[in-house]
Amino acid sequence: MSEGGSGKWVVGSGNGQGRVQGMTTLPASTPRRVRRPSNLLPMLAVAVFAALIYWPVMLFANQGAAQKALDSGADLGCKTALACATQLRNPVIPAPGQFWVGMRSLSAQPFSATAAPYNALVTGGETLLGLGLAVVVGLALATLLVRSRSFERATLPWLVASQTVPVVALAPMLAVLLGQAGVQGFLPKALIAAYIAFFPVTIGMAQGLRSPDPLQRDLMQTYRASGPQTFLLLQLPASLPYLFTSLKVAATAALVGSIVAEISTISFSGLGKMLAENSRASDTVALWVIMVYGAALGIALVALIGLLERAVTRWRPVA
Amino acid sequence: MSLERPVPRLAGAWGALGLSGLGLAGLSLLLARQEAPAQLGPAQPGLWLVGITALLLLGAVGIRQSAQGEGHPARTVPAAATLILLVLAAEAALRAYAVPTGLIPTPSKVLEALWAARTVLWRDALTTFVYEALLGFVIGTLLGLGLALLSVRLRFLERGLLPYAALLSSVPIVALAPVVIKAVGLGVASKTIIVAVTVLFPVLINAVRGLHSAQSMHLDLMHSYAASAAQTFRDVRWPSALPFVFTALRVAAPLSLINAIVAEFFGTEGRGLGFRIQIEVGKFGLDVVWAAIVVASVLGISFYLVISLIERRILPGRR
Amino acid sequence: MTHSLLPTSHSPPHSGPPIVSVRDLGMIFPVPGGQTVALQDANLEIMPGEFISLIGPSGCGKTTLLRLMADLISPTSGQLTVNGGTPRQAREARSYGYVFQAPALMEWRNVLGNVRLPLDVMNTPKDSRAARAREMLRLVGLEKFERSYPWQLSGGMQQRVSIARALAPGPALLFMDEPFGALDEITRENLNLELLRLWRETGKTVVFVTHSISEAVFLSSRVVVMTARPGKIEGIVNIDLPQPRGEESREDPRFFQYATEIRELLRRGHE
Repeated sequence: MSEGGSGKWVVGSGNGQGRVQGMTTLPASTPRRVRRPSNLLPMLAVAVFAALIYWPVMLFANQGAAQKALDSGADLGCKTALACATQLRNPVIPAPGQFWVGMRSLSAQPFSATAAPYNALVTGGETLLGLGLAVVVGLALATLLVRSRSFERATLPWLVASQTVPVVALAPMLAVLLGQAGVQGFLPKALIAAYIAFFPVTIGMAQGLRSPDPLQRDLMQTYRASGPQTFLLLQLPASLPYLFTSLKVAATAALVGSIVAEISTISFSGLGKMLAENSRASDTVALWVIMVYGAALGIALVALIGLLERAVTRWRPVA
Repeated sequence: MSLERPVPRLAGAWGALGLSGLGLAGLSLLLARQEAPAQLGPAQPGLWLVGITALLLLGAVGIRQSAQGEGHPARTVPAAATLILLVLAAEAALRAYAVPTGLIPTPSKVLEALWAARTVLWRDALTTFVYEALLGFVIGTLLGLGLALLSVRLRFLERGLLPYAALLSSVPIVALAPVVIKAVGLGVASKTIIVAVTVLFPVLINAVRGLHSAQSMHLDLMHSYAASAAQTFRDVRWPSALPFVFTALRVAAPLSLINAIVAEFFGTEGRGLGFRIQIEVGKFGLDVVWAAIVVASVLGISFYLVISLIERRILPGRR
Repeated sequence: MTHSLLPTSHSPPHSGPPIVSVRDLGMIFPVPGGQTVALQDANLEIMPGEFISLIGPSGCGKTTLLRLMADLISPTSGQLTVNGGTPRQAREARSYGYVFQAPALMEWRNVLGNVRLPLDVMNTPKDSRAARAREMLRLVGLEKFERSYPWQLSGGMQQRVSIARALAPGPALLFMDEPFGALDEITRENLNLELLRLWRETGKTVVFVTHSISEAVFLSSRVVVMTARPGKIEGIVNIDLPQPRGEESREDPRFFQYATEIRELLRRGHE
């Protein structure tokens, strides 16, 4: 199980890629790179295509609701169902104009308690705090794992199995239990994010701490390096690429965890709280706006980790 | 390195494990016979704690010893023993302190709930796993593979589509779920769509990467045979893509179940494991919540193992 | 402990106590369903300043013998002294440098940092480490690359960094385990010349594992020929080619005689 499950969490970490081959007298730093054409134009084309598809789909989806509204005699300021499809107060899929209005109203004062940017920041903060906690605990546990074989054999199978188990299903219960225990506000969400991120981070770190090749270990032995020296000079730096790869996997899962935690308890801020409120109020446009903010938040978190990775692992070639 | 005979150590391990297991089970049984063990007197709770801790330590010694060596039992016993002992210890501790079921149910209560609610849980599992996770998984995989094949044929599409796919794979599904449920309805279909969308991206990304992974030497070889494009695809491109596709499937399988459950937190027609968890957390029926989590975990692990099994069948010679 | 690296003229192997002494050494590895005799009854004395090559097919125990000397593994029988003490004492006194089959550089350290690594571990005075590491890089001709990272270097350059790293603490003994095995012929011959120059300039004792006959003859003062199953020493060939050696040594008729002699020893063990 451990072999089968561990491979998937680390994609292409570690060793140098694209090294210069050939003569020793070749000057360094001339890795040949193929210049690729920019992806901008194709990406733009796909975006335009998506926008073109969106319009008829939106009209089709809203038509039924519009017909119903007209039949019930509501005054929408339009005659036919097709014309009303972009005017519904509560559309199935919002028209671009409606979305834009919703976006502006939820982002106008970005730092008011009801604005989406503020709540996205709260959720992002909770998740980041949780990821930080997960790294601390994960590093400690991974160190134990690589130090003691019996501890590894007793716990690693369950850690790996946890990757196939919906741990997020525990989030609502944990949120309630933490609330009962008097842990409220920012902290329970961060704790839940931490506990979801902890599993992949621990496995990634354990893999990373074990990644130095046997020759490098022998080398440290020929130096009579102490245990802490081998850890600090060899294992820890070698594990960093693995840590960041697992953190990127963990970040999205942890974000889901903090949002679910926000929904499951009484929350006063956060994207989860906005989702819960607007679900109850059936405000479709607001839900779309929150979706965009949630997506942006997820992308931003992963990008942030990527930036941190570049800053910490400067030795690696730019991909 | 001296080669010790492993037999006496193993016997000691079994002794320690058996003793601590029996002890913990005995404690739990003893406590089960009493109606309100907490009323036994002020000195008792501390005593229970000492007893349980001592038995756990004994068990830890046994696990440590059983983990020595490289045999099959040394690889499997420690993990199994750890789970059993921890469950028994939790049972005893929860009983000793008479923790109310509404807060943390004892493992035996969870088992009871699992049995008592079996018809409901069966129906929930069927909804969540078969109609939502599995169906979504299949649809997402097929779509992903189809798009990947198309992308590899049309470079323009690949350059336009793949950057979005990479970006969207870090979007938390919670952001997507309410919107899709609003547009498609509370039924099963909305969850199937959400699962399919979240499976699509990793499959697409990995399949494209895999289809590009064919060794140039192999391609040259096919070229030297004057093989047709279809032959090259069948004999070189597709086989070299398969390992990548299976990596994606192994990641996506548990993810599909997790996402189905999370999506259910945002609205259902009153069925599904996610719905069950959410509704029972609200009613403090935590024994049912845990039972649902157990069911989901077993499903998640099985799904993952089945995919791994298929992978091993189709890709011989790989682990 | 730190030996001078000033270019001194190389003195031929002299008498006196051997720097490595191998007596009836044996090494048995347990394998599933039995055991492998990796080394049997090996006897060898290495004098200070010698360049000794261990040559043989894979499985002949040449790497095992080197790892035993370096205290990376412990023998199952026989005696072994390094630097007058046990291999463990020699390792703990940090009295040898080891160059592996692969460069085994730390990819997160630049070239200078990699050469500085042993000095960091051994806690030499902080302010002299960088200077010492630069000196070693000059010795292997890589002073211009101190800020490069391993991935930016060719395989040959990486291996030169790892030699500089082994030299940095100034050990009297250098163990080299097929250091040029993965390199192309041209690079390998260049590095052979460079290694000979280093040996002449530093007066170190080198124990060099290889599977190339011409490399062994070209470099060594003595070649230890080993054969497999069980791994044992088949014979020792004195290489009496004049020093300093250069490309022209490869044309020397004696070069071919030695190569033939070694080839025959290897063949004898193969039958």
